Amino acid sequence: MARQESLAVVKEPETPAEETARIHIMGKSYVVPAGLTILKAMEYAGYRLVRGVGCRGGFCGACATVYRKAGDFRLYVGLACQTGIADGMYLTQIPFYPAPKPLYDIHRLSAGGETIFRFFPEVARCIQCNTCTKVCPQGLDVMRYIAAAQQGDFKRVAELSFDCIACGLCVSRCPGEIAHYHVGLLARRLYAAHLTPKAIHLRTRLGEIQEGRFSKEVETFCKMDRQSLQRLYAQRAIEPEEEVALPGKSNSDED
Amino acid sequence: MAYPESMRPSIAEVERTRPERLRRREFSRLTLEDKEALLRRFHPDYRPEGFRSLRVGANRGQNVPHELADLLEARSLLDPDTFELNAGADHDVDVLVIGAGGAGSSAALTAHEDGARVLITTKLRWGDANTMMAQGGIQAADRPEDSLARHYLDVMGGGGFVNTPGLVRALVTDAPFVVEWLENMGVLFDKHQDGTMMEVHGGGTSIRRMHSSGDYTGMEFMRVVRDEARNRGIPCLEFNAAVELVLDDSGQCAGAVLYDLDTKEFSLVRARCTILASGGMGRLHCQGFPTTNHYGATADGVVIGYRAGVPMLFMDTVQYHPTGVAYPEQLLGQLVTEKVRGLGAHLTHCKGERFIYELETRDAVSAAIIRECSERQNGIATPTGVLGVWLDTPMIDMLRGEGTTRRALPAMVRQFARYEIDITQEPILMYPTQHYQNGGLVINELGETAIPNLFAAGEVSGGVHGRNRLMGNSLLDIFVFGRRAGRRAAERAREVRPGRLTLDHVRTYHRQLDKAGVSNHRAAPMILPDYTPASHRIRRLGGVAVG
Amino acid sequence: MSEEKKTFGYYPGCELRNRVKGLDLSARRACRALGIRLKELKDWTCCGGLVPQVKDNYMGFLAPARILVEAHAQGFDELMTLCTFCFNTLRRAAFFLQGHAEARKRLELFLGVEGLPRVKVIHLLEVLRDHVGLDRLRESVQRPLKGLRVAPYYGCLLLRPAQEIKLDNPEAPTLIEVILEALGCEVTDFSSKTDCCGSYHIVTNGQVAGQCSDLILRSAVKSKADMLVAMCPLCQFNLDWRQKQTRTAPLPVVYFPQLLALALGEPVDTLGVAEPAATALSALGSPT
Repeated sequence: MARQESLAVVKEPETPAEETARIHIMGKSYVVPAGLTILKAMEYAGYRLVRGVGCRGGFCGACATVYRKAGDFRLYVGLACQTGIADGMYLTQIPFYPAPKPLYDIHRLSAGGETIFRFFPEVARCIQCNTCTKVCPQGLDVMRYIAAAQQGDFKRVAELSFDCIACGLCVSRCPGEIAHYHVGLLARRLYAAHLTPKAIHLRTRLGEIQEGRFSKEVETFCKMDRQSLQRLYAQRAIEPEEEVALPGKSNSDED
Repeated sequence: MAYPESMRPSIAEVERTRPERLRRREFSRLTLEDKEALLRRFHPDYRPEGFRSLRVGANRGQNVPHELADLLEARSLLDPDTFELNAGADHDVDVLVIGAGGAGSSAALTAHEDGARVLITTKLRWGDANTMMAQGGIQAADRPEDSLARHYLDVMGGGGFVNTPGLVRALVTDAPFVVEWLENMGVLFDKHQDGTMMEVHGGGTSIRRMHSSGDYTGMEFMRVVRDEARNRGIPCLEFNAAVELVLDDSGQCAGAVLYDLDTKEFSLVRARCTILASGGMGRLHCQGFPTTNHYGATADGVVIGYRAGVPMLFMDTVQYHPTGVAYPEQLLGQLVTEKVRGLGAHLTHCKGERFIYELETRDAVSAAIIRECSERQNGIATPTGVLGVWLDTPMIDMLRGEGTTRRALPAMVRQFARYEIDITQEPILMYPTQHYQNGGLVINELGETAIPNLFAAGEVSGGVHGRNRLMGNSLLDIFVFGRRAGRRAAERAREVRPGRLTLDHVRTYHRQLDKAGVSNHRAAPMILPDYTPASHRIRRLGGVAVG
Repeated sequence: MSEEKKTFGYYPGCELRNRVKGLDLSARRACRALGIRLKELKDWTCCGGLVPQVKDNYMGFLAPARILVEAHAQGFDELMTLCTFCFNTLRRAAFFLQGHAEARKRLELFLGVEGLPRVKVIHLLEVLRDHVGLDRLRESVQRPLKGLRVAPYYGCLLLRPAQEIKLDNPEAPTLIEVILEALGCEVTDFSSKTDCCGSYHIVTNGQVAGQCSDLILRSAVKSKADMLVAMCPLCQFNLDWRQKQTRTAPLPVVYFPQLLALALGEPVDTLGVAEPAATALSALGSPT
């Protein structure tokens, strides 16, 4: 098959413009190569972004973008770094949206619905319009995790909201003026800190370290010459992989 | 964006060999000698044309990648002769933390806990960092079968036995404490119902030691740690890049000059102690590789730390993550977590055969992939001419039960589904991508650098990982050394008596550049990369080349 | 009346998840004892709290309409609920939507569904009256509540507006009375049984709320009741709060399903009964 002459693939590519698309960034028209992400298309058009760009990998929520397509009344959303452009797209980024975050000491809170109402009384203003869910670029069921938070069911909040990247699009569209992602974060922290069992083996290990059980061996290794270390390394036992299904999220075994 | 016809025959090969590969899963591991030979022939670190010898500073005469040398052999963004330092500072604090990722945030939390007045500054938003993108996990030897010494040995072996022993000792000893600290704060770890951590292998581990939070591990850590720091009222200046360190007349670090990216003005922070936690250099695209890294990974901390006189270690080695996306084009270079291989997916070449044990260390797997795509001509070409090898993701559900992939790798399923690739049904195409700065500024076990009252933690520092970091040791590194630096800085801040502020070190550095005959108009740090087309850049108003 | 096990869709409501778990718990135990299966709606959302007073603001109908759509999608044509606020909101919304084609059309478009389903919203009291029947209820009693004098408090929203709710006569209701009698209670008659407890005013004008509650409590005490039975978490909260505030000799307030479950033989300590009612009810002894 094919052979790669140099090691390098390419720098962030300037795609050859065989096929082009016309997009409208904040109302201004640009012709860019088809097949780019929104982010790369904006850069191709000459925007050197400071806000509205972050990890470029779909994790940080900095590049929330809303757009409309030609001939379609619907409002679409996406992360600029993860969404491809289309001909006739009208777009703008929403790099920041105000969302007040209450301050709390997680260790002093009770892990029930009353804590949610204490810090976020506005969750009672949810009218189940479901706009938050429709607008979530991660495809999360935002409305239902807010409902679960309201009910004090933090395990369910954790399951439904875990993939939230806090881009803030839900906040921007909520008629109840709720800051959903802050609610989700508080509920998840309450669940993890108060309602899931702690790892006992971890505490046992901390005790052993504090008693100095490992210090001598580690010290010996620190002083060991390279050849001896290499020999030990080559001889070390390798534990086999565990052959069990791995749930992705904490304690979601049973659902 | 589903796979084009041209790539389908090779996918059929992968499917053809799959049943047999599922039956016979053992594959011989490399001996140390084989690995050495593989690296020498195929790892990008061994390509002399990728490097050059530095002409200035503490590491003069040593090789670093051209892309980094360009920034180290550049002038300050400030004019040291005219910039006013002693007319009053905009902020006066005990501890200034530069960088708001995992290292910076944990340093700030710890220093604040110890009573220091802390200020964080970051050029993007709080949490905009590689921490946020770390998917796989964090290592800590907390199972009864495991030991600190075993972790130590794995780290040293991964790093080529050249790691700084004291730093590795600190890393493995603090690891279980870091995990407990995170767990207590309300991080959702993957656990069994009784609270026992689920732990898997990573490349180069001898025992299952990898803790995770789905495939959003770093994001989960980052958002909880950030929330905690916000709750404590620690201030953070966002969109403020540190462009130069400030010393005092006795040579101690005494703060930094910041540049506000929104209002485009400089400001001065006086600080009794300063912690560099500014991350690595993925966005320099060494040797033209794509990168998994955050937009802000431009080596700013290395540049300003080195200019102030801190020596570097192992800056001639770059970690290429073996499994960067090669197709679709839109995801080029983005990370596919090592956990995928930990869960059992094989790497195969165009004819569906394996060519390396998947959980060798990253440098070895990367070199093996490059070997397949170059010398052995076993690569698969995409329509845009990128080469890669297959990662056989459908195996995961076959090995561990239907639904495992969706539960364990939701971010990844989503990422590919956007381009009509179902990773539970089809393999994905991989090629190495620039991932991690193995080396960095020299620190000691307390996080101190050679400059008094200047600390460094996380990817900006070097020594912990030797010449190659293992998966799960960078999320660990940032918290171990973030907390250590924070603690020591808070302690030190109580004793420090700062003198008169100067930028003499910048003047000296500029003189060295002149003397070495470095004649260019480059200025550094880079702050942010520029991905606008070259044709656009030359027509831009005041288009000064930065970096 | 048929003896076959019937399954109802069940909508608990937010308050029952947080502050008043006993109302939910006791109703579930009582229904189980009667062979009625309750299947809680999956991932249900808040009912909206109260039905919009302005009938051309369709946004306010979204919350209840969505619950009806969900109930139908999950296979129920009857949805049982307990909390008076939830019941009132859902029942009235269902009534309103059936009579207003324009509202229905707009909500269908917004929700993205074809046709709002006809789901009947019912109260536990109706399940007992219409599905179980008084005769079977009487036969099912394991621990007759003999000698317990109970004041049956309906509150204002359980029955009103009568033309929309259609549960019982809002001025002279008998529904709770006949059921309590079937359980063996002695029911007292008191004049304020359908008065408002003032909960609407509790935040803005505590004094008004207090006066409302006082009236109800005085009237119930005068009827020589041992305790007052409430249907609604807000009424219960208000009446309890007022008694604590005025430090009067307490008249215990229990939820109706707690008495029901107790009579059906469920142990009192499993029903989430708060003091002082718990002590009073413990004195009733074991099931016969």
